Amino acid sequence: MAHPDNLSLDQVTLCAGTKTILDNVTLTVPMAGVTLLAGRNGSGKSTFLKACLGLVRLQSGVLRLKGQPPEIACRQIGYMPQGLSDTALMIPAISHVMAAMKGARWGIPLPSRARRENAERLLALTGASSFARRPLGLLSGGERQRVCLAQALTDSPQTLLLDEPLAALDHEAQHQIVSLLDTLTRDLGISILMTSHETEALDGKVSRILKLKNGGLHV
Amino acid sequence: MFEFEFMRHAFLGCTIVSVLAGTVGWFLILRRQAFAAHALSHIGFSGAAGAVWLGVSPLYGMIAFSLLGGLAMGNETKGAGTLSSQRDSMIGLVLAASLGLGTWFLHEANGASSMATTLLFGDVLGIDTPTLLALGAVTVLCMAGLAFLGRPLLFASLMPDVAQARGVPVRLTSLGFMAIAALACSACAEVSGALLAFSLMIGPAATALRLGLRPIAGLSVAVSLALFLSWGGLALSWVTDVPVPFWIGLGAAACYGIACMVRR
Repeated sequence: MAHPDNLSLDQVTLCAGTKTILDNVTLTVPMAGVTLLAGRNGSGKSTFLKACLGLVRLQSGVLRLKGQPPEIACRQIGYMPQGLSDTALMIPAISHVMAAMKGARWGIPLPSRARRENAERLLALTGASSFARRPLGLLSGGERQRVCLAQALTDSPQTLLLDEPLAALDHEAQHQIVSLLDTLTRDLGISILMTSHETEALDGKVSRILKLKNGGLHV
Repeated sequence: MFEFEFMRHAFLGCTIVSVLAGTVGWFLILRRQAFAAHALSHIGFSGAAGAVWLGVSPLYGMIAFSLLGGLAMGNETKGAGTLSSQRDSMIGLVLAASLGLGTWFLHEANGASSMATTLLFGDVLGIDTPTLLALGAVTVLCMAGLAFLGRPLLFASLMPDVAQARGVPVRLTSLGFMAIAALACSACAEVSGALLAFSLMIGPAATALRLGLRPIAGLSVAVSLALFLSWGGLALSWVTDVPVPFWIGLGAAACYGIACMVRR
C-alpha cells in the first residue's frame, strides 16, 4: 500500500549481477524515525538503497518511497554513499556542499551570500565548520563523513538514505553523528533509512530494523 | 613586435584560446580526464590529416574528428570496474583507432610531411583572419555550453554518485562536456599544435587545482595562467626564436612545480 510515510515493496525482485538480493518481496513498513537496514556483508544493502533512489533497476515489481516511485522520490532524498569520496580532493569542503545545492538545475551556480550562509549552516549542523575551508583531501575519514552528511542535507530533504555513515569514525564521533541523526528525525521530521554495522552506537535510537537475508526483507 | 599583423593575430588567437583552455582544462582535471585532453588533440591531428587529404581546412577536420572522439569518450556507463579505469580504456581505444586513421590519411595525402609537422607542432604565427573568426566562434559556443551545463557538471564532477541520486543526468552531462572539450582541444591545437595542445589546457588548470581554490577562484587562476603562458610564450619566441610550444610546455610544468612548492 502506498502511504505517504511508508516504504512499500510489491512483488519486488532485485538482483546485483547473478546474485538475487530480493526475491519477490512484498512488504510495507513505516519510514518515520530511523530505520536500520541490517544484513551481512555482501547481502545487498547498498544495492537496495540504490534501488530506492532509482539508480539500480528492479528485475520486477514496484517499489515506492513515501508513496512515490524512486525516480520522483529521489528529488526529496539526501543520499550519502558508502566509502569516502576520492574525487576532487583539492576542492575546499564548503564547495562540495555548495555544489550540491540545486545541483540538478541547468545554468551557472553564481556566487551568492545566501548559498554560502546556507552551506555554512549545514556544515555547522554536522560539526564541520572548523574545517569547511580546507581541501577535502586534507580531512580525516570522520571529517569527510561530516562534510558528506552536510551535502546530503542540502535542499532540505524529507528523507535521508545513508550508507554506512558511522564507518571510519571513532567511538566519540559515532555518538556525535548518532546524536545529530536523532536531532534531525525529532526536530526536523526527517526520515532516515541507513545501513550500519555499528549497532551499539545506535542503541535506543533506531525505530525499526529491516533485515536483508536470503532474498527476503524482514521487519 | 605588434607592428606586424601576424603577431597581432597570434596574440589575439592566444587570448581566445587561453580563455577556453583554462576553463575547460579546469573541469578536465577536476574530472581526472587529463588523458582525454591529451588524446583529443591527437585525435584532432588525425582529423586534420584527413582534411588535408580531402583538400579542406585542417581546423574543420580537427573539429570533426575531436568531436566524434569526445562523444565516444563521454558515452560512459557505470558497469563493472571503476568509472576512471573505464574512461581510460575507452579513451585509449578511441585514440589508437584515430591515430591509425591519421597515419593512413597522411599516407594518402602525398608529400604532406611539412603539413604534418605544422599539425603536430602548431603554427600560431600563421593564424589568418578566417581562422581567428573560427576560433572565436568555437570559443563562444563552448563557453555558452559550459554556462548551460555549469551547475550539474560541477556537481557530477565533485560527487558523481550523489549527483546521479539527485537526478542529475550524468551521462548526458558527460557527453555534453566531452563535446565541448573536443572543440576546445581543436582550438588549442591551432595555437600549440596537436602534440602540445594539452599543455595549455592541463598546466594552468592543474596548477589552479593544486592551490586548493574554490571553483570560481580556481577557474579565474586557470584562465589567467593560460593567458600568461601563451602571451609569455609568444613574447619569448619573438625574442629567442625558439618555438612557442616549447615555452608553453616548459612554463606549464614550471607553474605546477611552483604550486607544489607553495602548497606542500
